Amino acid sequence: MMPAVLQIIAFVVFAFIAIAGALGMATTMSMFRSGIFLMASFLGVAGLFILLSADLLGLLQIMMYIGGMLVMILFMVLFMHDPGGAMMAGMDMAPIERWFSLGLVPRAAKHEEREHPAHAAQEDHAARHEQHGAGSDKGEDEGKRAEMQMGGMDMSDMSMVTPVRPLAAWLAVAVGLVLVGMLVLRPAWRVVGGVPDPDSARRIGHLLMEKYMVAFEGAGVLILIGIFGAVLLARPSHYPDDPSRAARVAVDKPPEPIADDRLTPLRREGNP
Amino acid sequence: MIVPLTAFLVVAAILFAIGFYAVIAQRSAVMMLMGIEVLLNAVGLNIIAFWRFTAPADYSAQIFAILIVTIGAVEMAVGLALMMLLYRQRKSVQIDSFTELQR
Repeated sequence: MMPAVLQIIAFVVFAFIAIAGALGMATTMSMFRSGIFLMASFLGVAGLFILLSADLLGLLQIMMYIGGMLVMILFMVLFMHDPGGAMMAGMDMAPIERWFSLGLVPRAAKHEEREHPAHAAQEDHAARHEQHGAGSDKGEDEGKRAEMQMGGMDMSDMSMVTPVRPLAAWLAVAVGLVLVGMLVLRPAWRVVGGVPDPDSARRIGHLLMEKYMVAFEGAGVLILIGIFGAVLLARPSHYPDDPSRAARVAVDKPPEPIADDRLTPLRREGNP
Repeated sequence: MIVPLTAFLVVAAILFAIGFYAVIAQRSAVMMLMGIEVLLNAVGLNIIAFWRFTAPADYSAQIFAILIVTIGAVEMAVGLALMMLLYRQRKSVQIDSFTELQR
């Protein structure tokens, strides 16, 4: 058993990582950063699991969430309009959003800065950029990447959050306050002093294969069907002999040409 | 354990509130899915904390947590596949452009 001080320190550190990561995920303007903050949050929760002596679940948390889902999420972020947050960085933000979006350079400001460096420095976000110059290099790179990806897309309506954001924030604060208040004001739960088996993975395996076998197999079937469904939904669907389907399902078009592409285009067979 | 049960539950409640905010306030479907992941994390933390403090001899809670992770993975895969399909059709991943799916 760990000494008490060490336990408290571990709890505080992991709880801070979990909560700060989740907060950063919800408030930063850059989706890429959101993914990274989410990873921090998962790591914090995994640490809390291990602190609660659920070692197997801590490892499962890291492997499933970070190894699997986060990779999926970061892959999907590539589809976004503004993954680096460069469009949003100059818009109106709450203080916490501004703090978590430090170093993101707004696109318009960047252009102006390049053309008239003295003039742009007077602007608010440009000044902010100067102030946090150390952290801004990455943001600038992200901005550039976003700019390249943006190409000729429709620039209207780039906002990443809904108009009900203040309402949502108040609702969330209310939910959090009610939950925490209920927890704090409630008389304490009856706590059992027992210490779990250090070899808990074996016990879980036995339970999984005996008492909860139906649930286990059901989850397996669910994963199988889910993966079938995901593959069926996501694969390019082009059936030339079914005209009715083309109206309902998008056919893969050749990708849009990349601006200032330095590579020579590939030649296909039969299409020189 | 020196750290009381309520401390873990409070952390889970705060995570739940943050996930709630993310699901409502974010506009792109990927960010909503991230919020849902935070919500599932909060639920799992609750289950494990209760297991550790009130029934450490019964390992069923960990089975439930494993099932939650599993369902979360399936939901994420199907959700992202749906989004990819919708993106091909609409060239957009903003939730607002899919409002006719409600009907």
